[in-house]
Amino acid sequence: MITFILKRLGSGLVVLFAVSILVFSLLYVSSGSIARNILGDQATPDQLAVKEAELGLDQPIITRYFSWLAGALQGDLGTSWFTSEPVAHALATRIPVTMTMVIAAMLLISIIATLIGVAAAVKRGWVDRVVQIGAIIGDSVPGFVIGIILVTILAIQMGLFPATSTISPGVGADAWVLSLTLPVIALLINGVTGGAQQIRSAVIKQLERDYVRTLRSRGIGEREVLFKHVLRSAAPAGLTVLSLQLIGMLGGVVIIEQIFALPGMGPLAVAATSQSDQPVVMGVVMYTVAVVIVVNLIVDLLNGWLNPKVRAS
Amino acid sequence: MKLGPKAAAAAILVSAGLALTACGGAAGGTGTAAAKTTTLTLGAVSEIRSWDPAQAHVGHALQPYQAAYDSLLLRQPDGKLSPMLATEWKYNDANTKLTVDLRTDVTFSDGAKFDAEAAKANLDHFKKANGPQMAQLTAVSDVAVVDADTIELNLTTPDPSLEFYLSQAAGLMGSPKALGTEAIKTEPVGSGPYVMDKAATVKDSQSVFTARKDYWNKDLQKFQKVTFKTLIDLTARTNALVSGQIDATLLDPKTGKQAEGAKMKLVATEVDWQGLLLLDRDGTKNPALANVKVRQAINYAFDRKTIVEQVLLGQGTPTSQPFGKASGAWTEELENYYSYDPAKAKALLKEAGYETGVVLDIPSVPGWETQLAVIKQQLADVGITVNIGAAITNTFTSDVAAQKFTTMFFSLFQGEPWVATNQIISTKALYNPFKNTTPELQAKIDAVEKGGKDAGKLAQEVNKYVVEQAWFAPMFRVNQMYYHNAKVTVEPQVQQAVPSIYNYSPAK
Repeated sequence: MITFILKRLGSGLVVLFAVSILVFSLLYVSSGSIARNILGDQATPDQLAVKEAELGLDQPIITRYFSWLAGALQGDLGTSWFTSEPVAHALATRIPVTMTMVIAAMLLISIIATLIGVAAAVKRGWVDRVVQIGAIIGDSVPGFVIGIILVTILAIQMGLFPATSTISPGVGADAWVLSLTLPVIALLINGVTGGAQQIRSAVIKQLERDYVRTLRSRGIGEREVLFKHVLRSAAPAGLTVLSLQLIGMLGGVVIIEQIFALPGMGPLAVAATSQSDQPVVMGVVMYTVAVVIVVNLIVDLLNGWLNPKVRAS
Repeated sequence: MKLGPKAAAAAILVSAGLALTACGGAAGGTGTAAAKTTTLTLGAVSEIRSWDPAQAHVGHALQPYQAAYDSLLLRQPDGKLSPMLATEWKYNDANTKLTVDLRTDVTFSDGAKFDAEAAKANLDHFKKANGPQMAQLTAVSDVAVVDADTIELNLTTPDPSLEFYLSQAAGLMGSPKALGTEAIKTEPVGSGPYVMDKAATVKDSQSVFTARKDYWNKDLQKFQKVTFKTLIDLTARTNALVSGQIDATLLDPKTGKQAEGAKMKLVATEVDWQGLLLLDRDGTKNPALANVKVRQAINYAFDRKTIVEQVLLGQGTPTSQPFGKASGAWTEELENYYSYDPAKAKALLKEAGYETGVVLDIPSVPGWETQLAVIKQQLADVGITVNIGAAITNTFTSDVAAQKFTTMFFSLFQGEPWVATNQIISTKALYNPFKNTTPELQAKIDAVEKGGKDAGKLAQEVNKYVVEQAWFAPMFRVNQMYYHNAKVTVEPQVQQAVPSIYNYSPAK
């Protein structure tokens, strides 16, 4: 087991390293404009040259990359070119907002999608049809559209929620809950409908298997068959779908945060990318890749725990 | 028993119901705080990069700095300059030395005293801090302390915009003890009407200020608390305004309709002009553009009035001149110099020997797809082909400077005449990348530079020249649409999309 984890972590590091080289090279293309973008329209060539030297832009790309890498390995991700904020600090203040939302959405998706998916698989009939139709609608409406509809009805017309975030230091948990409710709903609808659909298919597939018939013939209760055996076998499929949804959500949350003005990773990523703020972009990308690697690792471990067959292979 | 769908549905309904009732109660509570008119909450369109006054920006980015910092001069809503930290200021006859008398009763929020040394420290800091507006003090060679409350700014060349700059970023005064420190980047230390509530301030979310006790000018301090809520997304700004989370913010013609539906009030000001910049006037890369008749034909090809009605939903004014109404360089006769006349455009092209074959390559910038489509079509009607090419936003300004574009569509700030001249006309201007000039034009520009108080009037000649020579094809001045609720009154500020902080007051 430990070798497995170490192996996966090792390959994760290789991916991180490869992505860092790729992104760094891509950002290099637009770095010629950085000094001008910082100093404005009327800066003279001398002023531009001073700024470029200050940021190290006059160095060759290899030198710049390795100085970034050396810093990153020591935990120093550099300082934003535009705001002078240390990147590590920028990430540390924004990740909690984004991850609170993503984790809350994922927990709710897991519970609701499983309940609905199992119900559709077991009951079939009208329940199944409703779930199927819901899946099509849920999949075809993007999260940000759902977000805008929710704000218009629940926040502006009914006044139940704040239209944009009220999160700030000193506010109580209620402000967090209120500010995050609509964004989390906007995030989870696609996940719930998509997840329910996958879990439904997986459960149906398991219910048709021979072992279920054998279990039933031995007089084992329907509830035990479902929860002890069928769900366990169907879990790998569900977990894979959920992990893919979490990874997709890291992108979707960027737009949701813009609409709800949440001070999470979204505004940071958008501002940094549009300005080519290289240290911040690198920080955001490294964080995202790390999350993806960790999520995949956790899913593999969970699968092994749930299903001995996976562990053996 | 199986766990049926009914049980699952019931569980979901119960939890959702609990969430809704909990939320309903608390939401009512947040609404009442905003009802008091002692607080002002503004939707800011961008985040402050650094609170170091030398990093301050112009236009809508200046407002937050005004909460924390006083400036040497105060710019009135109509653009007139009046005393603030400076009580009097005077040029010598050659306009190369500006003597400034300062107030003696002002302290910074950290207790440091404002005096001539402090003012010099700020101006020196501004010159070397590499801020986005550092060009504002380019003409100032050095700052001399005459006595405790007088400084002299020595200039290498006259700069008719200098007094204006001293009401802007270059005039913001921070505590000399804090300048250059790391701390001032996240927490401003000025002598302004408000001080930052650091505990309540969150980057990318909100900056909170409270009224400073014993502020020297109570007339400029009208609220107990001022909050700048960062709302970069237009939809978020609209939602925050109509739901009462903020008192005022900048919207656009489309979202403005929604705000008007919610009974918000509009403060409209014309700040930018949009149109074509016919950059390659010497025909270095596009020979057709060297011919003034071709450039004039382009100007005659546009039905500006209809474009304003349809593209801007009427929120703008058609114009043929690049200088703004409040600049002093604007004249009535140039306003409709090029009326819509496709026949005349065709005739001019024929005279120029370009009945066919004029091709304009215009880079596409996100957000102006509609304008570019209209331009393409109207120019096609007189026989000019437009190729719209992609532009990379991140490298756009560098590409302009590198002469990559011979023609471009852009939106440009209409500032003071000398500012505008150095932005789009003089050989130093970024938006004159081919460095076009003529001895005649240069003489007119020199006259503005040395013109002192008459700079605006003298710039009318520059304006007339570039309009007649069709350096540009201006289309319209755009209305900036600033909306506010009934709790506050807002006075528009000339040349600013977002008014100065002093222009807000509690509604009576």
